[in-house]
Amino acid sequence: MQSLRNSILNHVRVRVFTTKRLIAGELSALYGDCQQLRTCSTISSNSNDQVMDRVIKLVKKFDKIDAAKVTEKADFQKDLSLDSLDRVELVMAFEEEFSVEIPDAEADKLKCCADVAKYVISTADQKI
Amino acid sequence: MSVASASYLARRAAQKERVRILYRRALKDTLNWAVHRHLFYPDADALREKFEANRNVDNIETIDRMITAGEATYNKWQHPDPYIVPWAPGGSKFCRNPTPPEGIEIIYDYGREDTA
Repeated sequence: MQSLRNSILNHVRVRVFTTKRLIAGELSALYGDCQQLRTCSTISSNSNDQVMDRVIKLVKKFDKIDAAKVTEKADFQKDLSLDSLDRVELVMAFEEEFSVEIPDAEADKLKCCADVAKYVISTADQKI
Repeated sequence: MSVASASYLARRAAQKERVRILYRRALKDTLNWAVHRHLFYPDADALREKFEANRNVDNIETIDRMITAGEATYNKWQHPDPYIVPWAPGGSKFCRNPTPPEGIEIIYDYGREDTA
């Protein structure tokens, strides 16, 4: 989550007031900006794509996978010819990348990159 | 015969599930014991080799016994203070900032409520 937040903050610039006297109106305007920023930073279509990109990049780096075959919908077991233990390793890599805890039952259901991205985004909703 | 083979398949599926979960837990526990990457990778490879060595065992009773032995080993060597993701249950940031209940909100008007 921390890394997700960092990557978003890299792209969004927070406006900082440098005037000496901050009157109440400005303060609340600033607060409004922050509020807007926060709603932006939780989940948007933009971060959806970012999560997907990171998932695919990670899968391509996995040494037992042919990087050319990796797509959003490619099944880990059938299309990328991983066995069940390889999939366990891959899920552990996802857990570290996004610092989420994936329960054993959920880990079995993650069959392609799209599933993983969906799961990561759904947990991000609960966290903030 | 078909009942027998169906029960055989069911038992094999259950065994696969047990092995998968055992490997997953053992791999996580390896990371708990070996905190640095350069220590973790050889350990993880050794763990994988232990599993791969028995890949072709096909006697169902033998497999059951092996899995039980593996689980016993895992239980024996469990880390007393495992790493937990901060936001997960038991983590250091779990429930730190719970969302307030419905109907409660903070109005930020910075002291202007007295003058209004």
